[in-house]
Amino acid sequence: MEPSSTTALADLVRRAQKGDENAQHELIMAYQHRVAGFVYAMTNRSDYVEDLSQQIFIKMVRAVDRLQAPAQFESWLFRLARNTCIDQLRRQKLRRIFLPFGEEHENIPEPAGAVDTEELDALRHALAQLRPQDRALLALVQEGRSHAEIAETLGTTVAAVKARLHRAREHLREHYQPDHEN
Amino acid sequence: MKTEDQAWRDLQAHASAQLRAGFADRALRAARGPQDATWRQLNAHAARQLRPGFAERVLRAARAVAEVPSLSSQFALSAATAVLCLAAVIFVQDRSAQLADERNLADWERIVLSARDAQDAPDNDSI
Repeated sequence: MEPSSTTALADLVRRAQKGDENAQHELIMAYQHRVAGFVYAMTNRSDYVEDLSQQIFIKMVRAVDRLQAPAQFESWLFRLARNTCIDQLRRQKLRRIFLPFGEEHENIPEPAGAVDTEELDALRHALAQLRPQDRALLALVQEGRSHAEIAETLGTTVAAVKARLHRAREHLREHYQPDHEN
Repeated sequence: MKTEDQAWRDLQAHASAQLRAGFADRALRAARGPQDATWRQLNAHAARQLRPGFAERVLRAARAVAEVPSLSSQFALSAATAVLCLAAVIFVQDRSAQLADERNLADWERIVLSARDAQDAPDNDSI
């Protein structure tokens, strides 16, 4: 089910909070593709998508009963997704410090053309040049989060979000060269 | 035509021959940045990475995780076990010390008694 209105979504979330497995299933089905897109934009790794998305939804199922405002479910879910991705990237960075030889096995770039088009390859390349925080910012905007919601998610002000978003977009444009692989 | 003009034309022709087909489109795309369609492609690619039955797998895994005792309860169990072990060690230590004391006291009493017996016994040499 695609939660079309805030009320329908809030009802679904309330049912999920009471442990209704059908409601939890519907929530996962409704958001799995968007969360997968967010994870991919954040990590730039196809092989992380399923695993991290699964972690995010497991956290969602286990913690949804603690969500105070069911209407805020979407921004809560994407905050969960952002934090999970950032944790994963931190762990990856730490692993690289302790296992320097693991890096070459861990960071195998997806070959050009492995993902559909020149534009998509260029977008992946450009995203890879940005800091994870900036990638999260752009991915949250693409998810339709408002500046106020993003500010709340990141624990900052709307003005700071706007400034960072402007810089992130500039950087993305700088690195976005559709023929970069050639 | 002047030789100089011809040279400029040749240079321009050479330079423009270096540009691959579709240069203008690429330049415009780069200037505009990624369009919504490209972001949608990225989401679609990511969505394809999820194997069928994803939601069912998540719910199964969430149930399995719920069955695993939480970190705090594992810690509480470890702490209780440690306290129990410590109490057992203290009890055994106390008991063995008490037994050793009793044994030592009994030995001393035996020594005292035999010393007293030796003192009370008549001197054989004097008889």
